[in-house]
Amino acid sequence: MNSLNKRLSAEKRFQAYGLFAVALSMFFVLILMWKIFSTGSGAFVRTTIEANVFFNPDFIQVNQNSLEKELYRASYVALADEVVRQNHPNLNEEQFIKVREMYTRKFDYQLRDYLLENPDKIGQSIIMKITASSDLDQIVKGNYPRDVPEAQRKINDYQLSVLDKLTSEGKVSSVFNFWFFTKGDSRDPETAGIWGAVMGSLYALIICFSFAFPIGLLASVYLEEFVKPGKVTDIIEVNINNLAAVPSIVFGLLGLGMLIGVIGLPYQVPLVGGLVLGFMTLPTIIIASRASLRSVPPSIREGALAVGATKMQTVFHHVIPLSLPGTLTGTIIGMAQALGETAPLLMIGMVAFVMEIPGGPLDPATGLPSQIYLWSESAERGFLEKTSAGIMLLLLFLIIMNTAAVLIRRRLEIKW
Amino acid sequence: MVEQVNSFAIKTKNVSVHYGNKMAIDDVTINFTKNDVTSLIGPSGCGKSTFLRCLNRMNDVIDSCKVQGEFLLNGVTDIYGDSIQVETLREKIGMVFQKPNPFPKSIFENVAYGPKIHGLASTQSELNDIVMDSLNRAGLYEEVKDRMDDIATGLSGGQQQRLCIARAIAIRPEIILMDEPCSALDPIATARIEELINELKENYTIIIVTHSMSQASRISQRTAFFHLGKLIEHGDTSKIFTKPDKEQTNDYITGRFG
Repeated sequence: MNSLNKRLSAEKRFQAYGLFAVALSMFFVLILMWKIFSTGSGAFVRTTIEANVFFNPDFIQVNQNSLEKELYRASYVALADEVVRQNHPNLNEEQFIKVREMYTRKFDYQLRDYLLENPDKIGQSIIMKITASSDLDQIVKGNYPRDVPEAQRKINDYQLSVLDKLTSEGKVSSVFNFWFFTKGDSRDPETAGIWGAVMGSLYALIICFSFAFPIGLLASVYLEEFVKPGKVTDIIEVNINNLAAVPSIVFGLLGLGMLIGVIGLPYQVPLVGGLVLGFMTLPTIIIASRASLRSVPPSIREGALAVGATKMQTVFHHVIPLSLPGTLTGTIIGMAQALGETAPLLMIGMVAFVMEIPGGPLDPATGLPSQIYLWSESAERGFLEKTSAGIMLLLLFLIIMNTAAVLIRRRLEIKW
Repeated sequence: MVEQVNSFAIKTKNVSVHYGNKMAIDDVTINFTKNDVTSLIGPSGCGKSTFLRCLNRMNDVIDSCKVQGEFLLNGVTDIYGDSIQVETLREKIGMVFQKPNPFPKSIFENVAYGPKIHGLASTQSELNDIVMDSLNRAGLYEEVKDRMDDIATGLSGGQQQRLCIARAIAIRPEIILMDEPCSALDPIATARIEELINELKENYTIIIVTHSMSQASRISQRTAFFHLGKLIEHGDTSKIFTKPDKEQTNDYITGRFG
């Protein structure tokens, strides 16, 4: 009896260790999440200042009858300055510069975009919420302390007094930052968005999938179903397993040397990025696909062969459809890994400052992880929250992909 | 016993099978008469399943398996010769396995698959007829006629096995090989299959491997007793089970070994 008690208490102890291990890892995950969410959530909101905008035709040199092209080409910089002067009358030149700095530098584009959508407003006055500069935004969000000496602040005492006046007039408000999801990168944190990087990653993943999935599937089907096992297949098997463990930066070097250097594909485009990620994902897909082909019971193959199906009919009508969920699960997990991979993108140049949203796999682009890396290196405080928000988006995509993988696998389990 | 050459569905002569260096079948010569049920009996590992699988070349997929000897289909076609492709051969010699192995597709698809790949039906209604007819012959139609699109793996074990029989006869074979078709089934399902075999022998030659003496005596006209890769005795079932020539056979059927 005594020894039984001993064994039982050993089991209890073991369970306690296990619980502790789980709790500890959960704790770290929670800290990570809390840190990312608390810094990143600010990126979804931006501070705006309400202002009276008079679309004075004299400043923009266009009128009601102008073509859209002319409206697009017109200069709105002078109009932007004029808007600031009108809303803050009686400023001297030095004060004007300070006040102008409180608004985003790009607010001429905001005026242009508005006018392009509402051309009938030329010569009229409207009330517009104009985006504040990132530094002001950070003050309003409380990320910059106000009570430090003026020399250590990006917003000086005069600007603070203007801000307080605007706040008391109810002109400062926060709006949901759609720009984060719709715009490309920018030098100014307040106008920087992640969409360019998302599209870059999307194109790269599409290329990666359409390259790696068919090749991986065919390779695994050939190795598993057609070729006779022997020395050669053993060597191939070892090499595939080796490739799966090769650091991703090596694949980046391969892409740089082969695709860009030898074949001459352009630098920093999703096409090359996708191919490199495809090289990286290929072993994962082959390994997963072979395992799932092996899990199809031999009795299914026998049943098909016994009714006179050829080997190829057996494989394509019965074995591959049954193994496909497992193969897809492996593929999605491999692609989720590829989505988060930064090193190969660094090597092939998908880590540059790209403002335009790529329109195809041959346009210069960054990827999600390289965009995050770029922002994390920026000095401005405003990019810090963008970095975290970018990570949140990356995690969201990873969660979606991994959930899809789990769902597909679960469907597979019901079938058998 | 005098029989015409063409009354044999399959004739074999001096058949030896090796797995690598291990001998599985040792110099077996046996002929299978048309429209009879022939039982292959013998203790586990005696090579009867291996022999059965040689007849429609299912052993081809096993790399280490080497088959020697003569196999003639209908007295003329060399089963292992160049004049016949293995797919055509399997169209003529169907097979039902020990464990029911329906494809995880619909009931209809399971039966229709063979006719489809061999092009036996030119229209959908012809295909429907073949499927219906095959299920009818396998005695399954009444049970599944309302759920032809249900997945076949949802049927009971006995139903699955009868579906596999329907699948085998859908391509109109001459010979059906059965490798212990009832060993995974309960007695009631077994009785159904035995009844079915009895009906099928009107149109098909059936060669069945079984572990059950009583099953062999109930369903077969001819019985062959294998032991350690050798064919010990082959003859009419009634004779084998009452007055076997060899003592070994007698010992086996009376349960003294095996």
